[in-house]
Amino acid sequence: MDEAMEKRLPKTEDLGAMTEESLKAAFAGESQAAEKYLVWAGQAEDEGYPNVATLFRAISFAETRHARNHLRVMGGIGATADNLLAAFGGESFEVDEMYPAYHAIAKEQGNNQAVRSINYALRSEVDHKGMYTDAREQVLAGKDIADQQVHVCLVCGHTIIGDAPDKCPYCAAPRDMYRTF
Amino acid sequence: MAEPFKNTPPAPEAKGDMTAQNIAAAFAGESQASQKYLAFAGVADAEGYPNVARLFRAVAYAESTHARNHLSVLGGIGTTADNLKAAWGGETFEIDEMYPAYNAVAKLQENQSAQTSIRYALKAEMDHQGIYDNTLKGVEGKADLGAGAVRVCPICGHTVIGDAPDECPQCGTAGSYFKEF
Repeated sequence: MDEAMEKRLPKTEDLGAMTEESLKAAFAGESQAAEKYLVWAGQAEDEGYPNVATLFRAISFAETRHARNHLRVMGGIGATADNLLAAFGGESFEVDEMYPAYHAIAKEQGNNQAVRSINYALRSEVDHKGMYTDAREQVLAGKDIADQQVHVCLVCGHTIIGDAPDKCPYCAAPRDMYRTF
Repeated sequence: MAEPFKNTPPAPEAKGDMTAQNIAAAFAGESQASQKYLAFAGVADAEGYPNVARLFRAVAYAESTHARNHLSVLGGIGTTADNLKAAWGGETFEIDEMYPAYNAVAKLQENQSAQTSIRYALKAEMDHQGIYDNTLKGVEGKADLGAGAVRVCPICGHTVIGDAPDECPQCGTAGSYFKEF
């Protein structure tokens, strides 16, 4: 992002409480729209509409721009050390409270697919929490983390620094279902 | 999913209203985490931490897989025609209600940056509404969109089918910065 672009972005400002509530909700809405459109792009491809798929991906990107703008205005984009701490905080909440509570309810209500979706997420968030902790220690010392590939299972989100396993430990997906970063 | 394996992604299951509410909340949480991590990746790149940036991008992708799984459990992945209708509905709500209401509050509270962020989004959602409407008409007649590229302004999300303008009509960013899909 160069200066010419940077200056057109909305800046962080002190917000009225109601305006902040509005932007929080708008950030939530844009984030969810971006994810839905990505999923629906895959569906369009499966149905033989490659250009509709491209459209969904493009509009998903547009929504990510709105999400970023709203987040920026709210002051939600800090220095990397702060961002890693915020990321760790979000993962910790999901691991310690949110997913265990949702899991208990889904189990009680006998919704097996929901239980599975929750388990996949919960297990990955535990991994993420550890990775963010390690990364923050490095960044606080002014260092980047090691130059290693990161692999993510495209079924359950299992995340591993280094090589992908032959089989996903959480959902048994084969190695070729991992995406390399 | 191309490759069959033991555990495919979770399927729709309508069991328990509380569970549905929780999975919807989890979808919102994963979507927002994904967008935050993408924004944080940009900061890490700018601060000279390319490997932390890669970690954020990989984890953002993992959160997207969780969002997709939750959306699937909720029955939120339909046929492309259904998905286009849902997309049109979401954009319409944002244009007719959400952003005008939020803009009124931001104006009342004299939050200039918030108004800019809201205006950028509102204008782009109008592009999207029209494009989804036309696309749905095609898909209802089993016709894909034309094969032309879709271009998106990386600052405000302005979306055009075809060539980028010399300058973004909403935010003034040079057309050469538009992202092509």
